Amino acid sequence: MKILVIEDEQQLSESISAYLNNEHFICETVFDFHSAIEKISLYDYACIILDISLPGGSGLDILKELKSNNKADGVLIISAKNSLDDKILGLKTGADDYLTKPFHLPELAARVDAIIRRKSFDGRSLVRFDEIQLDLNEKLVKVDNKIVDLTRKEYDLLLYFISNKNRVISKGAIAEHLWGDNMDLADNYDFIYTHIKNLRKKLIQAGSADYIKSVYGMGYKFSAANQPK
Amino acid sequence: MKLFSRYNRINIASTVAIFLLASTAFYFLLRFVLIGQVDDDLRIEQREIEGYSQKFGRLPEPIAVKDQVIEFVPAGKIGSQRKAFQTINSSGSQREDMRQLIFSLPVGGQWYEVKVAKSLEGTDEIIRSVILISVSTILAILVASLLINRLVLRSLWKPFYDSLSAMQQFRLGQSSRPVFTPTSIEEFDTLNSTLEQSLSHAESDYQRLREFTDNASHELQTPLAVIRSKLDVLIQDEALSERQSQIVQSAYDAVRKMARLNHSLLLLSKIENRQFADLAEIRFDQLVEAKLEEFSELLHDKQFKLTVSLKPVIVRMNAELADALLNNLFSNAIRHTNIGGEIRVALDDNQFSLSNSAQQDKLDENKLFDRFYKGGQSSDQHGLGLSIAYQICQVSGFSIKYQYNNQVHWFTVTF
Repeated sequence: MKILVIEDEQQLSESISAYLNNEHFICETVFDFHSAIEKISLYDYACIILDISLPGGSGLDILKELKSNNKADGVLIISAKNSLDDKILGLKTGADDYLTKPFHLPELAARVDAIIRRKSFDGRSLVRFDEIQLDLNEKLVKVDNKIVDLTRKEYDLLLYFISNKNRVISKGAIAEHLWGDNMDLADNYDFIYTHIKNLRKKLIQAGSADYIKSVYGMGYKFSAANQPK
Repeated sequence: MKLFSRYNRINIASTVAIFLLASTAFYFLLRFVLIGQVDDDLRIEQREIEGYSQKFGRLPEPIAVKDQVIEFVPAGKIGSQRKAFQTINSSGSQREDMRQLIFSLPVGGQWYEVKVAKSLEGTDEIIRSVILISVSTILAILVASLLINRLVLRSLWKPFYDSLSAMQQFRLGQSSRPVFTPTSIEEFDTLNSTLEQSLSHAESDYQRLREFTDNASHELQTPLAVIRSKLDVLIQDEALSERQSQIVQSAYDAVRKMARLNHSLLLLSKIENRQFADLAEIRFDQLVEAKLEEFSELLHDKQFKLTVSLKPVIVRMNAELADALLNNLFSNAIRHTNIGGEIRVALDDNQFSLSNSAQQDKLDENKLFDRFYKGGQSSDQHGLGLSIAYQICQVSGFSIKYQYNNQVHWFTVTF
């Protein structure tokens, strides 16, 4: 699946591609308005990551262009502007989601994943990871077809991990995903540890392998047991 | 002291002093002149008596004339030409001042002492009426000048007071600029135009400053995004050692602090720019409950004793700001309460209060809501949270108060 990153800050664009590129995704990057318009008219993308302020024009105009051509590409706006009005305007114009800079790359990956899932599965919203199965509509988790009783936060955490599988996610990124950026309390991340510990215990008790690993107290990684850390 | 009363005080004091001096001087001068007049009359009388005695060789018959007394007293053989004026008090039924001339006169080999006295009653009367007239003139002039000053000065200074009240209404950063009415007086026009200039200068400086904060914060978002994304990519490196991971963690923490600071500065600048104009009816109790739910893990983790009493209350304010207000107040309370401490939340018809058991002493209530005030704690917080809460209350027309008693910090928002 192809993802188009329209972002004029090349360093950020590079990081996004480096993080998202894997066995499923290939990122293409453009840095200005006109090359972006050219790209979207020529190709279809599973998801477009779109910065609003671009040299040569506004990202919102690219979005309008996409919509007027009835393109089905999912669009995630990344903007330095953090205001409800901008968010609403972006979503009304047809974006699927809106993320404010500075974001965590795992958050971006999770959002992109969600957009692609919504676009491609068309309601049949099941996510699988080995023996773990998530029903996104029912918000249910099963291990080997046995329902695991997870709290809301644990469920969110699991989905977040699966969207970022085989990657190290910093504790800050996890905290922000679970509690949003309104909370200025992440002075210590002890409270994350409790949630991860519980999730891990419940999954293992239900018979799954131990996928969640701590990485030097800096973050966590969700990866298949047989893979090297 | 008001300008009027100050002016009047000086004016009245100097007028009264001048009038008093002038009347005193006038009194003495007048008296001197009038007595001189009487003395002249007495001298004429003397000459008449002398002329009579020379012509007829005897003393004239004393004729009773009103206000005039002539006495002849035989006086031994003194040949001296004694002559003196003096003012005496006659001991009549009515005490009255007399002016007396005493001189010696030889009549037929016999010396007589002649005393001619004239009443000063007329003179005194003149002086009295002169004094009366001048005193009443003083009073009349004083009253008149007071009234005139009051009326004239008030109308003369009216433009000044108009400008003053216009300035008092003025607040920097609010769109309404004071309107100065043009006057016909040069000084006031200069004053007004100077005020207008400095106001527009201050206003544009303030505007620039606000734009600066706004722009600076926006411009910082992208570099912050770059740093954070680079760190997110860096930690994927499996060759990262534990030591390096610790360094990366510190960098993450710094980026997080900076991102929060930036977020808060932006929020503040948006509140000041009145970008949260949409008001809505908010069920404040439901919002508080939602926040408690949101923070429940933290409240639980820190084993707080939580007391909540909420009444259903509808508050009219901006929804985003309501959210930010509660976020900041709750974050503040949670952060500054020790594990196992106590937090009380109460909401009734017109106020919301949040209290927490204190970690440290009373905070400085004058500085508490200032930006970057850190009540002597770690540098971990940027010190903008309460400032934001304060600003939100300001723009929403609420008031926020801090109190401290019995080791408990109280924050009360009055709707």
